[in-house]
Amino acid sequence: MSASRDDSLMSRFDREGLRRFRARDAVLAILLAGVILVLLEGGSVLHAGEEMKPGVGRSLVLAVGRPTNAIAEALPLARAAHTATSWLNPERNLSGPGGFTTLVAGGQIPPVTPAAFTPEALGEAPPTRHRLKRLLVTGDSMSMPLDADLAEALVEHHVHVNQDPHIGSGISTTFVVDWGKLAAAQVKTDHPDAVVVFIGANDGFPMKGTEGREVACCSGSWAAIYADRVRQVMNTYRASGALVYWLTLPAPREAARARIARVVNAAIQVAAQPWAAQVRVVDTVGTFTPGFAYRDAMTVRGQQTIVRQADGIHLNDAGSSLLAGIVLGQLQQDFSY
Amino acid sequence: MLFPSVQFAIFFPIVLTVSWALMPKPRVWKPFILAASYLFYACASWRFVFLLAGVTLGNQAAAVLIARAGNERRRRLIVAGAVALDLGLLGVFKYYSFFAQQWADVAGNLGLGSTLPLLTIALPVGISFFTFQAISYVVDVKRRAVEPASTLDFAVYLSFFPHLVAGPIVRAREFLPQLKHPRDPNRVAASSGLWLVALGLVKKVVIADFLARTLVDPVFAVPKTYGAPDVLLAAYGYAAQIYCDFSGYTDIAIGLALLLGYVFPQNFRSPYRATGFRDFWRRWHMTLSRFLRDDLYIPLGGNRGGRLLTYRNLMVTMVLGGLWHGAAWTFVLWGAFQGLGLVAEHALAGRLRFPGWLRWAVTFHLIVFGWVLFRAQSLGDVGTFLSRLSVPASPTLWTAPVVAAIVLVVGLQLLPPDPLERIQVWIERRRPVFMGAGLAAVVAVAGATVPSQGVPPFIYFRF
Repeated sequence: MSASRDDSLMSRFDREGLRRFRARDAVLAILLAGVILVLLEGGSVLHAGEEMKPGVGRSLVLAVGRPTNAIAEALPLARAAHTATSWLNPERNLSGPGGFTTLVAGGQIPPVTPAAFTPEALGEAPPTRHRLKRLLVTGDSMSMPLDADLAEALVEHHVHVNQDPHIGSGISTTFVVDWGKLAAAQVKTDHPDAVVVFIGANDGFPMKGTEGREVACCSGSWAAIYADRVRQVMNTYRASGALVYWLTLPAPREAARARIARVVNAAIQVAAQPWAAQVRVVDTVGTFTPGFAYRDAMTVRGQQTIVRQADGIHLNDAGSSLLAGIVLGQLQQDFSY
Repeated sequence: MLFPSVQFAIFFPIVLTVSWALMPKPRVWKPFILAASYLFYACASWRFVFLLAGVTLGNQAAAVLIARAGNERRRRLIVAGAVALDLGLLGVFKYYSFFAQQWADVAGNLGLGSTLPLLTIALPVGISFFTFQAISYVVDVKRRAVEPASTLDFAVYLSFFPHLVAGPIVRAREFLPQLKHPRDPNRVAASSGLWLVALGLVKKVVIADFLARTLVDPVFAVPKTYGAPDVLLAAYGYAAQIYCDFSGYTDIAIGLALLLGYVFPQNFRSPYRATGFRDFWRRWHMTLSRFLRDDLYIPLGGNRGGRLLTYRNLMVTMVLGGLWHGAAWTFVLWGAFQGLGLVAEHALAGRLRFPGWLRWAVTFHLIVFGWVLFRAQSLGDVGTFLSRLSVPASPTLWTAPVVAAIVLVVGLQLLPPDPLERIQVWIERRRPVFMGAGLAAVVAVAGATVPSQGVPPFIYFRF
């Protein structure tokens, strides 16, 4: 590092030959770009608004998004642009059935199946432990870096760990991804022996109930819809032959989020009830936030250790590593590896 | 609010239009652009708007006191107080958890009780950048490089949204003079601005995020599961990713400022063309390099105290520069590595002669190695990553688009600069209306490559 002057960093736009325009040209160019984008991508604004949490920002984006969506839908340009660029999209195709929107209304009393009983509950010997070959670790951002920790621990046992996080997604929102469809696609392509799911950081969105009404978080009705959706995802995984390990949410720092997390956890417990033999609810609350009281740090291996990230939602590396140990313990009860 | 987001696509045209409408009336324009910038910042976290305002008022008070101070000793004391406050804030928000945890570990091992509460503290977006700019302002006032600005001007300088969250680190003496008079509405580098915005979007959304998604993130998350070919490619891939991510952000920031009539300093100049560490730091994050040089290295004594003191100053500067990037031992190690590179270069200057291509090859690979330290989650992961380089395996991530993206990013920087610059100037001379249409096409195509979870934040947003 030299002490010589090297401050000619401002000269790039003062050089000869650079053409200057009027401010009006700049404004017109940006507005033109906006008009073209409305014609080609008008629906994206509405889509982005629907993904946002309720508030002034969301209302403003939706106020712009509704007319732009109407314009884009009325003209063929958006469809043409979508067709022309769809090959660039990196997402897996989720156009098949199984989405949350097709969730059937209740009304019947579902029959109790043998899967509702663990062998221990019936006083039977535990089933033979099969070899774990393929593990799917999925969820929203909560599943990171848990997925990497599990992969790290299992790689030497020749277990293939598929890490499939979907950041920003949630059970109560289908904007980013519809977990009903995603779960179906995951079992079709990954064929997991076990699935670890850690999701809920983005939940709390209103959901459509069986009567078609939007139900806001976090009433009993909302919890029931949430549990229905979770149950559908659990069913997809367990019906494929995989054992499911669904993790509850440790209490977040903010009171508003804590309220959602408490309801999400209650819904997970209810959702898993029909399949106690195939679906394990892994409790994180007792370990990280006993009594559902948030804490940044806890004793890990005799040392006071920070286990949460600064956002007060996610686990940090130390917390995730601790959780991975708990999940591995559960996996070892059911599988050999 | 990310630049590549729908919210920003609504925000910016409104701000641009109103900004030029109000430009002839600075008394109205300045409060407007200040409010727009605070709104932009509040979208990330409204609570930290108060922190930004506090930093503004605190440093402005210090600048005014420095200007009024009668003697040099008093001026120096006030600067020291202001810088200590700025660094204190940075320390609390950015480093408290890290150091509290390190202390707890040490205290635990020694059987002592930890006296510091173990807390996590949310990091205000852009704090590393706006505190450095505030420091540069106070220091410039002390050095009489600038007069203290009005509080409103200083507030606009510190919060101006194109550079607020991730730079470039604009010096007060570069920006404040531009605020003195309204920008000329007949001399706007509009096409340059539009070109840079489009280029930045392509770099970030199409190249950087693609490399992160398909190569870098999977390998760095669990290096143990990959063999030498994939690990090697991921190291090169991260070099390409971080360049495209950060220089893409900078391009957009500079482009937006140009559209608003303001010029920011250049921040990158083909860094992978460098033939030495010193050369690299004159090409990579140039505004941070000169801040570290002018406000840390030179005040430490620079190269004025003989060979050993120069080495010490280089090491201190680069280790602190590494720590500036984040509270982790990997950043400290990366900074120390950069410092050692600079020291070695000083020590060997004039003694060894190598051909240019060899100097480039050695520098490039050392820089790539440095990025492994920078990107790894922990020191343990660094070891795992490097050990995998000796594990033979068949490549699983070597796809044509990935390799092409890396070759393109590095290769373009190795081409002679003149023809590329001529092409750039030719593009920048097109009429803005064509550039606007081009920008829309770029956004539509780049948008199609974005997965449903959206565009991840820029890497430097975390710093």
